[in-house]
Amino acid sequence: MTIETKDVSVTLSHKEIVKKASLRVKEKEFVGLLGPNGSGKTTLLKSIYRVLKPSGGVVLLDGNDISAMSYRDTARRIGVVSQFNNLSFDFTVQDMVLMGRAPHKKAFDRDTEEDYRIADEALRRVDMLDFKDRSFLTLSGGEKQRIILARALAQQVETLILDEPTNHLDIKYQIQIMDVVKSLGVGVLAALHDLNLTLMYCTYVYVLKNGSIIAEGYTDDIITEELIRNVYEVECSVARNPVSGKLNVTFFSKLREEMQ
Amino acid sequence: MKKQLNPRHAALSLAIVVFIAAFILSILSAVTIGAVRVSFSDVYRIVLYQVTFGQLKIGEEAFLSSGTMYEIIWNLRMPRVLMGAVIGVLLAMCGVVMQAAVQNPLADPYILGISSGASLGATFSIMIGASAVFTGVLAAMGTAFWAFIGAFGAMALVMLLAHMGGGRMTSAKLVLAGCVVGSLCSAFTNVLIYVGKDAENMKTVTYWLLGSMVSARWPKLLLPGVCAVLGLLFFLTQLRTLNTLLLGDEAAMTLGVNLTKWRMVYMIITSLLSAVAVCTCGIVGFVGLMIPHIVRGFTGSDHRFLLPIASFAGGIFLIWADVIARVLIQNTEIPLGVITSAIGAPIFVYMMIRKSYGFGGND
Repeated sequence: MTIETKDVSVTLSHKEIVKKASLRVKEKEFVGLLGPNGSGKTTLLKSIYRVLKPSGGVVLLDGNDISAMSYRDTARRIGVVSQFNNLSFDFTVQDMVLMGRAPHKKAFDRDTEEDYRIADEALRRVDMLDFKDRSFLTLSGGEKQRIILARALAQQVETLILDEPTNHLDIKYQIQIMDVVKSLGVGVLAALHDLNLTLMYCTYVYVLKNGSIIAEGYTDDIITEELIRNVYEVECSVARNPVSGKLNVTFFSKLREEMQ
Repeated sequence: MKKQLNPRHAALSLAIVVFIAAFILSILSAVTIGAVRVSFSDVYRIVLYQVTFGQLKIGEEAFLSSGTMYEIIWNLRMPRVLMGAVIGVLLAMCGVVMQAAVQNPLADPYILGISSGASLGATFSIMIGASAVFTGVLAAMGTAFWAFIGAFGAMALVMLLAHMGGGRMTSAKLVLAGCVVGSLCSAFTNVLIYVGKDAENMKTVTYWLLGSMVSARWPKLLLPGVCAVLGLLFFLTQLRTLNTLLLGDEAAMTLGVNLTKWRMVYMIITSLLSAVAVCTCGIVGFVGLMIPHIVRGFTGSDHRFLLPIASFAGGIFLIWADVIARVLIQNTEIPLGVITSAIGAPIFVYMMIRKSYGFGGND
């Protein structure tokens, strides 16, 4: 399945947050969305997963306008792991993950053995199976994040949209979550802050600045010292790590000279 | 029976059965209690005779279908007990659904302004009188009608306010709009009471505002009864959507729920149902807020168990609260709202300090 945005603009309180953004996630492609805070990454993602309505342009799923589809249909095809998951009501971890099955259910369908198996499997993948009877509200931020990912996994979708999925996570789970997502072999569109994680996992990236896409291309070609200076206003060195063979970004402090 | 996949669910399914049984038992035993002492055998002989349409006749027909005992048991107590049951089910069910629809554990017909609207309508009818303002059909309508109009108007205003300024109808907007409309209605209610100054009417208003089942008769039972049954049947088809709503606007939408549509549908239905409850029996506080909370403390937030158990628990609670209202002080009716609050508040505090149950957030 491919996701495509064509000239999508989003206006929030009379301010145009996203300006004519066009991007495309091809089948099974891991695409990164980069950009500094406030550049419109989350807003653009929300317009794709239909929480916000674009003020201009269209979002296409396999070439079909997404706004003409039912929410149930989109939920069977796109899973979302977003930044904020504040709950006022408590559920057990297992119930939480089972809700990922909701888009596949009709009103009177019961949760079947198959659903429980899928939920357990999703929990096992994020290493949270032992937590299944715990109450969701008692979990730490990182644990919650992993449960939300498990819920998206239980949705069994062809595409995942991730909004800074590694926030709140220590490095072990950052890598674990990215590994889990990568190993699914589904299309992924992920807003990321960490450039090194981007270099590790994304094949293609789009760079947002002030709501416009200012660069796109294969990750290794796009993440350059010049682009980082231009977009993030930070000095750095991009070099190939001899051990991993991957490109690696090392940032420099503005106090570099004084500190040496 | 199918293999139960989750032992907790098995226990909760059993709890549903227990609550339904307790609900029926409560109705049957509450009929035997009242200011006038009637023996068990007399009570049940009359009830049996009536519910079997005269097929099961134990004793004389004259005793079973006429006379003082018959009047007390079948035409006063029975509809009253059933009214308590029905109103309790309605209020608790509306509380559960409203809390899910606005994703706020404090939502109930009060917070959302519906009760205040009903009070305003009722106060208008009692203090001013519809015939003073309107002519024709409207002038002939009673307090219940105006209470319903008030409730409905308040609900419409809340929805309108929550929609204003564009954007989606968020739960925060709904709750705030409910508070605004609630205070507005209360202010007008007080003006009417103040301007009216008629002591007798004032007493009637107060009585109405505190809620009572005194006026329960068979014909009055029909509307709330039908509403409770239909409402319960409808929401039983919505359990999964209700669960998903609790996860928040964004999560609900990404799990395939057309949030805007369903929230609107649920709000309109629960507003109508609570308006029916309030216009029949006045304002019986605490049930819609407290019963869902207490039940949630035991069952968790899963509506597959919460909704049926809370509904029947609401019915059971109100049946017994009304029994207390009838018999606690001899020859005096205590307003039902007083009883429900007096019982409810301490239980609520207990639930609040019980560590295992939070109101949400990260406590």
